[in-house]
Amino acid sequence: MVRLYLPNDTSSRAAGAARLAEVWQERTGIELIRTSARGAFFLEPMVERDMPEGRMAWFNVTPDDLPQILAGKGGTPVNEIPFLRGQTRVTFANFGVTQPLSLDEYRAHGGLKGLEAARTQSPEAIIEEIRISRLRGRGGAAFPVWHKWQVARETEADRKYVVANADEGDAGTYCDRMVMEGEPFRLIEGMLICARAIGADTGYIYCRQEYPAAAHTLRAAIQKADEAGLLQSHGHRLRLEVVVGAGSYVVGEETALLESLEGRRGVVQARPPYPAEAGLHGKPTIVSNVLTFATVSTILARGGEWYSSMGTERSRGTVVLQIGGRVKQPGLVEIPFGATLAEALERFGGGMAPGSRLKAVQVGGPLGSLFPVSKLGIQICYDAFAKAGAILGHGGIVVFDHETDMVELARHYTVFTAEESCGKCTPCRVGSLRSREILERIQAGRGTADDLALLADLGETMKTASLCAFGGRAPYPVLTAIEHFGEEFRRLTK
Amino acid sequence: MATTAVETVRLTIDGVPVTVPKGTLVIEAARQTGVMIPHFCYHPKLKWDANCRMCLVEIEKMPKLQTSCSTPVAEGMVVRTATAVVNEAHKSVLEFILANHPLDCPVCDQGGRCDLQDFSHEYTPTTSRFIEVKRVFEKEYFSPLIETQMNRCVQCLRCVRYCDEVMDVKALAPVGRGTMTEIKHFTHHELDCEFCGGCVQICPVGAFTSRLSMYEFRPWMLKRADTICTYCGDGCQITIQTKENELIEVMSAHGAGRNNGDLCARGFFGYHATTHPDRLQHPLIRRNGQLIQTTWEEALEHVAETFTRLKLQHGPAAFGGLIASRCTNEDLYVFQKFMRLAIGSNRIDSSARYGHINGVRALRRVQGTHRWTVTFEDIVSADALLLVGTSLTETNPITGLKVKEAVKKQGAILLTIESLVPAVGTISNITNLATHHVSAHPEQFGNIVLGLIKAVIEEGLVDQALAQRATSYVQAISEAVRACPWPVIENATGATSSTLKETARTFARAARTIILVGQGVLRAPGGYGIVMNLLDLLLLTGKHDQPGCGLAPLAEENNDQGAVEMGTVAEFLPGPSDLNDRPARERIAGLWKEELPQGAGSTLIKMLEEARTGKIKAMLIVGENPVGSLPTGARAKEALEQLEFLVCQELFLTETAALAHVVLPACSYAEKDGTVTNTEGHVQQVRQAIEPIGESRPDWQILSALSGLLGYPLEYGESREILKEIRSLIPGYGLLGPAPTPPRPDQTVVDRYLREGYTEDLASRYSLAGEGQAERGSRKEGSFALVVGQTLFHSGKLSTRAKGLLQIQAAGFLGLNPANAQEIGVTEGDRVRISNEQGEMTTTVKLLDRVPEGLALFPEHFAEDRLTDQRR
Repeated sequence: MVRLYLPNDTSSRAAGAARLAEVWQERTGIELIRTSARGAFFLEPMVERDMPEGRMAWFNVTPDDLPQILAGKGGTPVNEIPFLRGQTRVTFANFGVTQPLSLDEYRAHGGLKGLEAARTQSPEAIIEEIRISRLRGRGGAAFPVWHKWQVARETEADRKYVVANADEGDAGTYCDRMVMEGEPFRLIEGMLICARAIGADTGYIYCRQEYPAAAHTLRAAIQKADEAGLLQSHGHRLRLEVVVGAGSYVVGEETALLESLEGRRGVVQARPPYPAEAGLHGKPTIVSNVLTFATVSTILARGGEWYSSMGTERSRGTVVLQIGGRVKQPGLVEIPFGATLAEALERFGGGMAPGSRLKAVQVGGPLGSLFPVSKLGIQICYDAFAKAGAILGHGGIVVFDHETDMVELARHYTVFTAEESCGKCTPCRVGSLRSREILERIQAGRGTADDLALLADLGETMKTASLCAFGGRAPYPVLTAIEHFGEEFRRLTK
Repeated sequence: MATTAVETVRLTIDGVPVTVPKGTLVIEAARQTGVMIPHFCYHPKLKWDANCRMCLVEIEKMPKLQTSCSTPVAEGMVVRTATAVVNEAHKSVLEFILANHPLDCPVCDQGGRCDLQDFSHEYTPTTSRFIEVKRVFEKEYFSPLIETQMNRCVQCLRCVRYCDEVMDVKALAPVGRGTMTEIKHFTHHELDCEFCGGCVQICPVGAFTSRLSMYEFRPWMLKRADTICTYCGDGCQITIQTKENELIEVMSAHGAGRNNGDLCARGFFGYHATTHPDRLQHPLIRRNGQLIQTTWEEALEHVAETFTRLKLQHGPAAFGGLIASRCTNEDLYVFQKFMRLAIGSNRIDSSARYGHINGVRALRRVQGTHRWTVTFEDIVSADALLLVGTSLTETNPITGLKVKEAVKKQGAILLTIESLVPAVGTISNITNLATHHVSAHPEQFGNIVLGLIKAVIEEGLVDQALAQRATSYVQAISEAVRACPWPVIENATGATSSTLKETARTFARAARTIILVGQGVLRAPGGYGIVMNLLDLLLLTGKHDQPGCGLAPLAEENNDQGAVEMGTVAEFLPGPSDLNDRPARERIAGLWKEELPQGAGSTLIKMLEEARTGKIKAMLIVGENPVGSLPTGARAKEALEQLEFLVCQELFLTETAALAHVVLPACSYAEKDGTVTNTEGHVQQVRQAIEPIGESRPDWQILSALSGLLGYPLEYGESREILKEIRSLIPGYGLLGPAPTPPRPDQTVVDRYLREGYTEDLASRYSLAGEGQAERGSRKEGSFALVVGQTLFHSGKLSTRAKGLLQIQAAGFLGLNPANAQEIGVTEGDRVRISNEQGEMTTTVKLLDRVPEGLALFPEHFAEDRLTDQRR
């Protein structure tokens, strides 16, 4: 009986793992272990087995490759895969190794150490540990996590909530989904630590509708955690529930998410008050990204000092990038903050796909700025991006090649923002659609130079006056496209 | 009143230093310095939403422009509202809004009073840089009264928020996303809501307008009159807008009146009643059995001659007078003076008799006041409110809003003892907001109150100080409730002792408590006793003399309170003073320079009896319609037909006026000046909005003219002179400022009550009503207990002349619980025949889940739905 490890997450399944499992399930002599994925999606479906010399991997496997794998021929030692070797895996250390719903394996690979540490500490001490780690929120806003927890802890209320924002909507990002599908106990552990720190008795995981497998895995994991008594702490049981969204991008914004969670339209609410003071049902609520919670457990287990020893001055720890687009090696990359964008693309992206040349890179999802080749020297950290008027967002990096029509790309973003604007505030409600129309006019050859000025003015109004970051960021892809590739726009205008 | 020091904050706005209370929003602080920051979505009544992004300002040390509507002031803050950057932002946001606005100002009723128009005038150039097609919503029919033009909408959501936050109705919601966000109601049929008109009034543009006045005016053509609505006792300030003597619309202003700009359907859409084509335009006189048109001269002379003759023949005691408490204080005052001096009779009563007088009598007896000791402001800041038999939203909608505000915004606890039960519907249901609700069969209010008092005694909730001060009083009540066993109370009321105990505990625990008593109690048999017992409840729990606490009987008519204070009820002289109060009589006689008549007063019911037996030969009825208002059992028609002479002053030829020998056309409130006194005792100005209809005259003028012909001239040049005379009797009357200053309980009266006053009727008040009758729930199959009440859209019968209200509700109905309806096999819209000992009638079924099983709700407004008396 040979044990074969085959990832079971959505990306790997789509790449062919599902087909392999289907074909091989009747085979005798092999035992298929369905694990999480390592994130090297250009190698999927990837099959691994333990050999005397260590874990070996076979890449882009087809059903017919089985004899070769069983013979132990043609494999690559996992720790020699360049894409993975260059990374500093902290949050994703166990990915590709463990079975998502095996609590024993999670524990055996260092899981629950953070929670155990937290349970012997006072809430204040937990928050202090997070403060020392200098962890900032990984959802995009990069707010110091400890500070939010402190506010929620200090706000008096009969109830408090902890909410995981799993509405991972940026195109080209998937690290939250990988956590939920691959190591759900890590998210639960982080939420339990947070609940203890702020005194919450109820938690929700707001999972986007497009992630059915994640919601399913989480529900099973919550049940296992409950059966194992993990949700019990100091005589209280954390009520933890998965809530599935209804398909709105803006619900990734925390106030809109809370509205949706309360059963109302997912539209943005003006802040203050911030959720940490008055959130779900008006009670102090910590809304944090899945990745943030997933990082917390390791910080508690290994100490804030250790975590803050990585990264740059004001961006500590590791950054989780998801590289996609026209590169040779799309996949998940976890490295300390501080490398330049060019380095990251070069070391992990593996160069451009055959026959294509790099033209532009977008970082931070559909609201992120576009970088031309000349600007790729930017350091990957919150400050450098903020200074450049760009965002790291959720770590999504999309690479565009020389064939990309920048006017069409800009229009594509306005289609997205016009579609996804919640409609609550004037600048975003009107501006998103109007910019799409102007770009379409330009594309049709009916635009003038004044229209480019109008786009700039309109963008300025959206930036200045919008209620939330969605409207405030919506003009950036368009404006950076015009800034760096203006000729393509001017060519079309009269 | 205790004044607590308010923490203040100093800041600078456009270089002007200003000090405002902590928590004030920048936009409001700016308003205080005379700076109006442009805005659409902000409204002081609503929780800020910061969605229109119009009110951006620069605040030092803040990185971006801030919305002034959502930013509270901070010490030392430096705000700039008119820098180049700020102006550019205002201009840009406006350009966005106008990019979608149809600019149809010439056909928009908001034109001339439109925020968008005004700000556009201030900020934007006349051309738009956006040339693409504007956003277009398909036109949808919304409602017969409210017109929507969603293309004009700026999506500020004020209407949605008002409907939810203030009205608790939630009839409106934004539908769709992004650019296609449209305000709609929830169903596919036309709008079904409370029709308060709030959306029309709060819309900053012309997205919501009134269909009653559509295309009939430009705002600058209108003449305004600030006056008081006469549909209920709340006394809302309204602005009647007229064009060439036509009523065009009614509005109300935020910050104005006791209603603070809020109205109900009757106030906002009911104004056409007074100009209904059926209005009496000329005096009528009965000739050969027919009422025919005559001149004022002839009519008045005929009345004067007949009155003089009958007085000589039968003496002044053969006269009775009845007046509607819809009239102004001036009308009421002159009426009683006319009856007492020109006629010489104390047989006077008014519609306050139906219910309000019971509350006033109880207040006078226990605490020596004839008014509330609390105000609307006290309701809003109460910790607990107990509603007993009110149907509050339907009878006193604006008092209802104060209760909603207390519960929704201030976190007050609401306790309700009501016939209708919590159920969500298209009209807000006050019991839905209750934390403790006791469902009361209409005959069980008294027993439930007894249960509450028993719970107070048994749960040890009696105030210790009172127990020491009034030992025998507490003991007497304790003994009295001991004689009312729980099983009997539970059986009769259907309420469990644990519910009543929990309600009593919650009531006793709260610091500021107010009991609101409605017509369900006041008009019920034994209503006076129930109010007395509720005052006992306040006394026993030690709330009675506490600030912000009190018992508040809800006036049904707009001037019930004034009718009592002007002395137009059987037991009172103006003041009110008791009819046999010697010093008061002497004071009034001194002022009138004439002796007051000696005879006893007669209540309405007694007067009808006296008319039937021939003791009363002639009656003067002003604006009151006993034939139409009283149950058939009162046999009002039969009584009035016995009279030798009946004179009516009326707006319409009512069932009563149709029996008269002379009918004199009177002015409505829209055609005269005067004052009215609302349910909380606030005296407010009624101002003339239009010229009198036809030859109609104000009631007091008619009486004044008659008095001259009778040889007792009561001469007044204008209504203000009457008010002056009222003030010489009741010092300071109507000089109370923007809010009433309520009286405090008279401690000597309270002491007397606690010492001995309580004893006289304790036994009857503290005995279970209906004991020994058939148990509740054992009703005969197919039979229901009828709850006669008001609907939100009508008030008495006057409102059934208002075309706006008729478009919402044009006929009566019988409200049944859906389960009951299913049992007897009827459904919504079915015609049913109902009958009782008094008669039978046919009406239409309406399914209402707020009607509890076993009851049937019947609105009293529609004449064609009256029970016809089978015995005639």
